[in-house]
This record gives sequence, C-alpha cells and structure tokens, in this order.
Amino acid sequence: MSVKRITYKEALEEICKGLGDEEFQRGLRTGVRNAEGKFLKILDAHPELRELASMVEDAKKKVISNLEHYIDMAMESLKKVHAKPYFAHTAEEAREIVAKIIGRGKTIVFSKSMVAEEIQLQHYLEELGNEVWETDTGEFLIRLAGSKPMHTTAPAIHLSRQKAIELLRKKLGIKLPDNAMHEEIVGAIRKFLREKFAKADIGISGGNALAADTGSIILVENEGNIRLVTGYPPVHIAVISVEKILPTFPVALAAAIVQAAWAGLYPPTYLNVISGPSSTSDIERKRVYGAHGPQEVHVVLVDNGRVEAAKHPVLSGQLKCIKCGRCQWECPVWQQTANLWGGPVYGGPMGMGWTAITLGLRDAAELSMLCLGCGRCDEVCPVHVPLSSIIHWLKQQYTGEGE
Amino acid sequence: MVIEAREIVSMIKDSMEQRGLPLPVSREAIYEWSRGLGLPSSGDYLLYTGGLYQLLPYIESLVIQLEKVGKSSVGGFALKLAKKVMKVVDVSKLVSKPDKEAKKYSEQVLQSIARLLSAASISFYYDPELDGYSGALLYDMGLLKSFRRHAERVYEAFRSRGVRRIVTIDPHTTHMLRSVYPKVLSGYELEVRSYLELLAENLDKLRFKTSSAGPVVIHDPCLYARFENVIEEPRKLLSAAGYDVKEPRRSRRLTYCCGGPVESLAPSLSKRIAMNRVEELMEYASTIVTLCPICYANLHRVAPRNVRVADISVLLSERLE
Repeated sequence: MSVKRITYKEALEEICKGLGDEEFQRGLRTGVRNAEGKFLKILDAHPELRELASMVEDAKKKVISNLEHYIDMAMESLKKVHAKPYFAHTAEEAREIVAKIIGRGKTIVFSKSMVAEEIQLQHYLEELGNEVWETDTGEFLIRLAGSKPMHTTAPAIHLSRQKAIELLRKKLGIKLPDNAMHEEIVGAIRKFLREKFAKADIGISGGNALAADTGSIILVENEGNIRLVTGYPPVHIAVISVEKILPTFPVALAAAIVQAAWAGLYPPTYLNVISGPSSTSDIERKRVYGAHGPQEVHVVLVDNGRVEAAKHPVLSGQLKCIKCGRCQWECPVWQQTANLWGGPVYGGPMGMGWTAITLGLRDAAELSMLCLGCGRCDEVCPVHVPLSSIIHWLKQQYTGEGE
Repeated sequence: MVIEAREIVSMIKDSMEQRGLPLPVSREAIYEWSRGLGLPSSGDYLLYTGGLYQLLPYIESLVIQLEKVGKSSVGGFALKLAKKVMKVVDVSKLVSKPDKEAKKYSEQVLQSIARLLSAASISFYYDPELDGYSGALLYDMGLLKSFRRHAERVYEAFRSRGVRRIVTIDPHTTHMLRSVYPKVLSGYELEVRSYLELLAENLDKLRFKTSSAGPVVIHDPCLYARFENVIEEPRKLLSAAGYDVKEPRRSRRLTYCCGGPVESLAPSLSKRIAMNRVEELMEYASTIVTLCPICYANLHRVAPRNVRVADISVLLSERLE
C-alpha cells in the first residue's frame, strides 16, 4: 500500500473544480474568516509567546543538526520510563511495526495524526481486519466522507453542517433531524464514540513533541479525545515523526504551547504529558505498571525521509515546522484551495516541503509551480521555516534549472 | 481543461532567449512611450523601467486567451483552442493585438513617473537602448540558469555604459536589481532605488495642490512590503498629495497578493485571489492604489465599475501643481 500520488494536472483540475464548488468554498471562506490573523490577537495579549517560539526554533535547529544523536537519546529515555521505542526507517516499516503490536480483530481508537495519515496507517490496520475509529470530530467526519484532511489542525474545514448530518445518517445510521444544530451533531458523535472508547483494545495517537531527555510525549488538544485515546485503552501506541524530538522536556512543552497559539487555540484546553505507562506503587511500595491508564506504551519514531532531509541544505529548513497550520490559513492560494493544493497528505506552503521530504521531490516540485512566491507564509511562521525559499528551490527542481 | 505548467514555462523561456522579453513583443514596445517627451540623456540615475508596465497590455491579451482555454470543457474543442493559443503565441500574432485600454494606461503611468521625477528635481536620464526586462519571471518560475544568463547580459550592458545608479519603477524590477542580482552575479555593484524612495526623500521639492483629494485605500505589493521595505514612502507621498490613506485589514508586511504570479498557470485561481482582495479593499474606499503593474492588471480586471484602481504615479501626478 502506498500513498496515491497527485500530478500537477490532476491537482489543478481538482483545484478548478474546488473553485466552482459552492459548498466547498462557503465552508472554506467561513473557516478562513475565523482563523486568519487570529494568532496576532493572541500574541498581542501574550507577547511572551514570541520568546517561547524563538526558544523552540533554536532547539529545533540544534536537533536537526544532530538528528540521529537525538533519536538515540529519545529511544534510551523512552526505555527508562518503561515505554517501548521503535525506529521505522520507512512508512512500510512503521506500518509493519504497529501491525505487529496490534495483530488482528482489535478495536482501535485514533486521535488525529498527520503522520498516521502520511504512512496510511488507518487503512492498513483496517485491511488487516481491525475496527478503526478516528475520534477527532473533524477527522471522524472526513473518514466518513472518504476525503482527505483539508487543513493540518482543522481537517473538515470544507464540510457544512448539512453534509455532517447526511454523513452520520447514511454511514452510521445515526438519527438526526434535517435541521440538527452543531451541538446536536457533536453530541451524537460523542455518544457514538463513547462506546468505542470503552471497548477499544488500543489507542493510537501522534505527538506534538517528544522530549529526548525524559522520553515524554506531549500532546495538545481541545476536544478531550486525545486524553481518552491515550488514557483509556490498555495499550497506547504513539506514532511520532522524528523531527518532533526536542532536546529537553521544558522546550518540548514549549513547542506544544507555541503550536497551539499559532494554530489559534490559546490557551489550549488540554496539554497532555505521557512519560511511559501508568503505574502505582501504593501497595507495599511495589511498582506495578498499568494502573488506571495504559499498561503498555509503544512509541514508533518515523523517519520516512526526515533523517536524510536533515542533511539537505534546503529541505532541512522544513524540519523546523511544528505543523501549526498558520501558513495555510494565511496563504492566498490555500485560502481558495485548502489542501487540494500541496500533495496527497500535506497541503499549502508547509505541504510543499513535507511532500518533498516524505513522498518525493518530483511530486512536490510540480505542485510548487502554483505558489505565488508572495512570502506571506514566511511572515507568519512561528519558527521561521523558510517556506517561500523552499518552494522556490522546488520550482528550480521542476524546471531542471537549479544550481 | 488545464494547461501543463511545462508548456507555459517553455513558452516564456523560449521568448526570453529569442528577444530578452517574456512575451513575443518587439523591443520597440518597451521604449516607444518615451518618444517626444524630451527625457534627459544624462544624469545621476538611469531610469530603468524594467518593461513591466509596457508588457501589461500584452499580458492582458494573453490572460484573456488562456482563460478561454481554462473555461472550455475537456474535449476536442478545448484542445484545439489550447493549441491555437500556443501557436498564436509562437508566431507572435498575439503581439499585434495588445489590449488598447491597458496600453493607454501604461503610457500614462510611465509619463507620470517621468513627470514626478522631474518635479522632484531628481537628476535622471533615459536610454532606450538600455531599457529592458529584468528577467523577474524567469526567477519566479525557478528558471535559475536562464535567469542568471539574462542577468549577466543586463548587467554587462549597464557596465559597458558606465551605469552606477539606477532608479526603478516597479517592485519586481526593484527586487531583482537590488536583492536578487547581487546573489547571482559576482562583483555586482549598482545603487538601485525605487522612484518612490527617491520621491519621498525629495518630498520638499514636490509641489502638490493643497485641497483635499479624498480617501484612497492602499494595496501594498508583496515585494515592496515584505522584501524591499518600501512601506512608508507611498503613504508619505499620498498624504502629502492630499489623499486620506486608508489601511486595509491586510496591509504592510501582512499585505495580500493580487494573484498575479499564477495568472498564466491558473487564470481562474488567480482571478479568485484578486476578487478576494478587491472585496476587502472596497470596504475602505472606492479608489484602490496600486504600486505595481501586475497588481494593477489583476485588481483592475475584477474590480466593479464603481471602483477605481489607480497606479500611485497617476494619483500623485494628478495632484501636482
């Protein structure tokens, strides 16, 4: 199984279709109106966040310049907190590792993860005969619709209320009136998923950051689904791409905070820290792993092109990205196309670099031709990923006139 | 029906190699605006227009043709039309049909700029033979080797004529000559100023009418605002000329692109971005000020009739005593 590649022509045809799709445009416009510039208000009220962002950027640079060292360090630290670390060189390896832990015929709850999307994990586990449920509301709807996430943190940006009602009725037989309001829809999804959380054998999450010195996974969220995914089932598997590693625990926390702020969600409702499996030593001071939370925590570190990219003079800059999606909200092209532009998984300005790293240069190079080069993305990135320069370099790869 | 990026890229590349211009336009089109103006032939600053304003009427015609292709449904007709457009471009027939209105406007802009430079007593000169195109589109499209070759030719011409100071009139040419040429050429030494910078520095010499000129909303071009730090100058000039300058929601370093850079690759996308921007700007004033020919073309194309899109040079020149 591999990610379906998208050619320039296909992407442009999809984009033209999207421009003419009233429902798609309406959803996107509303989403953009609410999100554009939102981080500026947050930063005005909390100027200390800029310092935090610059601290995260420095730490990211340090990790990228010595990525393999920090991967080893993170693996050692994970062992120390009784988590089980794995290193997956490719997407295939990552899927195999997870499949081996899980086996078949299990119920799995997911909390939205772009890396899981990148390695096509959900599809793979389903094919192996597992029951797989995405629990992030937006991603849950996207799965039902069979479409791709249209934004890094707001995947269902293009779906209307009516579309959501229709999907829940058709795909899951949930009874909802035609005029069901947002609260009612969210309530129905919550009710449906409660049952899945309770019977799930395994919870799979991503990770906003991983502290190399303590092996702590940091996850930031608003819905509360991540706490359930990572806390309720007896087994937790975190699939984390290696560039999410940060040298220390405090800076890992900072990365998650910065991610939330620039995404426009500040303060985040929940900030989760997971340092290995749950445990108790309340009976005769004997440490027992697996108290109320999971008994096992598996952490799959995914390379998929990143270790190589870390040595690349241009693409290494993309590894600083904390995937807050701010560049997408502010990009004039993305505002019209959402993730129809960018590649099969990632989209918008950040999507170009990520597509190049995780899928291949050729794929990203073609799509990069639709970038305006306007530099608005550079202006808003919290960690100064040189987005427009990366895209300009990709254009040179497309024309074959790079130097 | 979409056109492959490769076709557009190779069309531009071919045209650049043949005549040093991104479109099959005669060289005369670049300097004919200066005829009969009696522009000085010596001075401190060489006026290098970069040709973008002059190319505007031809770009306009091309975009209309490309849009026709984009709109047609997939099938025989669309393909035939696509080939026709390409063929027309190949045989340079398109150049005989520049958009008339756009041509008149671009001449007005160029003449206004010359008038403003004179009014501010800036010592400049014009040499039709030295005027031309910076190669900006080659750079923007990632044709780096072609761009370097072109830049070398442009710079060599400057050097052989002893040019040391240049005044530019649009953000693309300013950015190329000031920030990109030094990166791709060795030993590059030229002082490059935008005419807006020179005018702002010599504001005391400009004599504007004292009456109020009404509100205008400013549309910062991306390259001036984010890459060349030309932000305060146009505001200062417009205010001095009696305009009430309104700041839109997306302005200065966070300004919003006009959609122009993808107009040849994805005309419908480009148009949508322009519409998005015009809708925003209209909320502030019924006159939109542009500082770049590409912005002018894109915003003007989609602006409703009751909205005036005007180049800053025309607005300033109108207010000269």
